[in-house]
Amino acid sequence: MVVVMQERATEAQIEQVVKRLVEMGMDVHRSTGVTRTVLGAVGQGTPDAGLIEMLDGVHEVLRISSPYKLASKTFKQEPTVITVGDVRIGGDEVIVMAGPCSAESEQQVRSAAAAVRRAGAKIFRGGAFKPRSSPYSFQGLGEEGLRMLRDAAKAENLVLVTEVMDLSQIELIEQYADIFQVGARNMQNFTLLRELGHARKPVLLKRGISATIEEWLLSSEYVLSGGNNDVILCERGIRTFETATRNTFDISAIPVVKKLSHLPIIADPSHGAGRRDMVAPMARAAVAAGADGLIIEVHCDPDHALSDGAQSMFPAQFDRLMAELRIIAPAIGRSICLEPVARRGWGS
Amino acid sequence: MLVRLLNERARVACEIGRIKKDLGMEVYQPEREKQVLQHVRGIAAEGPLGPDAIARLFERIIDEARRLERRVIHGDGD
Repeated sequence: MVVVMQERATEAQIEQVVKRLVEMGMDVHRSTGVTRTVLGAVGQGTPDAGLIEMLDGVHEVLRISSPYKLASKTFKQEPTVITVGDVRIGGDEVIVMAGPCSAESEQQVRSAAAAVRRAGAKIFRGGAFKPRSSPYSFQGLGEEGLRMLRDAAKAENLVLVTEVMDLSQIELIEQYADIFQVGARNMQNFTLLRELGHARKPVLLKRGISATIEEWLLSSEYVLSGGNNDVILCERGIRTFETATRNTFDISAIPVVKKLSHLPIIADPSHGAGRRDMVAPMARAAVAAGADGLIIEVHCDPDHALSDGAQSMFPAQFDRLMAELRIIAPAIGRSICLEPVARRGWGS
Repeated sequence: MLVRLLNERARVACEIGRIKKDLGMEVYQPEREKQVLQHVRGIAAEGPLGPDAIARLFERIIDEARRLERRVIHGDGD
């Protein structure tokens, strides 16, 4: 870290800072300037910048190394590729995950799985436990929903991702799902993250609605430090002053994360935009920005969906989006759903 | 020549580190550092470098000595 002293810092104040840094096990490089003194501190530890900042005479403290270790590019240069069945997340292929917000009925889940599979999705999404803003909103079908999602994914040969909201659900969800999703509201549920660090299935970690990228990567560190190396990051929009969209979809987070971390990052344009008509443009932009995948809400009858209907795409819209993505992906040296996919209406 | 002398100084610093350890003294002795800097400033007056530049160079030399002494006292590496 670099400690910049105030212009009028006294020798005693500078000495006090050097003393504290030495006590913290740091080697201090002092550079006395004409107007102010700068102290460079190097060492293996990560001293608490806040403690130094509080000392008299300190103007500012600049950290030069990131507080997260395992998630950083310094720790691992080459990108992490996560394999689930025959799906590889973080490789050249852009992986699309799609499905309804929540499991509502056998028929609804089946038809959604068939529709997204036909369009080229590799992973089926759907919730059985729903973290809704209001306790009076539909809360999900629980284990019955998990069974429906599993059956539909199996029938369509899709990998299944579903949300885990609480520690107590891990064991149950592990029996049904291939990937654990941690929602934005749980991004800083550290006991849940720590426990998922011991799980043997990948974790899709959404960014909290008001989390900085650094906080998000620190959250991933909880899972990684537990021994689970398979973390997929997911940008889903952050809260800003703008009200035209449900959240502000932070596309810049994609290249930023790519620069800082080796972990794959996907995008959730459904929550990012919060409106059906804005999902496709955001999805196209995310792929163009280098996202390793997308997670999109698709419902065969979104107007009657029990949750997130307004942001769920119709299957025909999803088909069109997939066709567009197949043109965009190669432009940046990537592919998307290599297998030929039947058009809607053909033999279905 | 200069490098040899710097290493000679570093060896002395390590020895001082051991003595500080035996006496239970802190690595960082701001008073002593101040004396060293004052001394070199005093004898640097005539040269083209001047007292400020010499003091800056010595700050780096002292930084390295402090690093060596810390290693001797706390036994931790780089």
